[in-house]
Amino acid sequence: MIPDRLDITWLVLIGLALATVLVPSIVTRPLLGNALLLAFAALKGRRIVLDFLDLRAAPALWRGLVSAWLVIVLLFAWSASAVVALI
Amino acid sequence: MSATDFEQQGTGWGILEDLPGDPMMWVLIFSELAAFGLFLGAFVIARALHPAVFAAGQATLDAHLAGLNTIVLVTSGWTAARATAAARASARGCARGWLFGAMALGALFIAIKLLEYAGEIASGNGLETSPFFTLYFLLTGFHLLHVGLGIVILAVVSRGARPASVETGTAFWHMVDLLWIVIFPILYLVR
Repeated sequence: MIPDRLDITWLVLIGLALATVLVPSIVTRPLLGNALLLAFAALKGRRIVLDFLDLRAAPALWRGLVSAWLVIVLLFAWSASAVVALI
Repeated sequence: MSATDFEQQGTGWGILEDLPGDPMMWVLIFSELAAFGLFLGAFVIARALHPAVFAAGQATLDAHLAGLNTIVLVTSGWTAARATAAARASARGCARGWLFGAMALGALFIAIKLLEYAGEIASGNGLETSPFFTLYFLLTGFHLLHVGLGIVILAVVSRGARPASVETGTAFWHMVDLLWIVIFPILYLVR
């Protein structure tokens, strides 16, 4: 059986989930580690939005709205951790 | 234009009709995303105000068990997406099978999360232990309730396994998946 887009998305999500758990023990610098963790979360979220929620074919407005939610929440988390680390 | 004329032109949902499933489910999904977004924002601000308290609380969590739960939930998301594809192809029996798989994995997520809670409570951590644990239990507990509700919704749509119903039910399930993808690193891993 040839894997289709849903199978590939699932495999990407599993790979990113494993990478996410490994980041804190591999990357010791908090700012970089946090950036990686949250970037992985953004990638996972984007795949879920496009392929599982099936917004790839939906109007750009809806795709953009859900993606913007994802980016805003993750960027806010990273910015707050960066401010605490720098002061 | 009268209300009757307006209704005859469509269902009255406007651009929400371009989304998969019932537009009312998307109203709920956008509301939930807004609520969880604010909740996570509050967690992030509280951590910035009390970094030592939050670091101490986070250090007692089992990130590997939560990571395992991420794999369980994304796999259930995959089975739910397969169910939608099967329902669209009019393979209702197949769609029902994939939905049962998603529900079983959802139940496994709940079991693992309860095991995690049991360990945390046994270590003396509860809702009132610290601001970290208050927000941790509320956020993850609220999410866990959504997993339970999602299982009920999937069970309801699996009965007829009609394409529109399956799309509606699985849209809620994928939202629950998306929320966990964001909750997991912010609560367990970000330092």
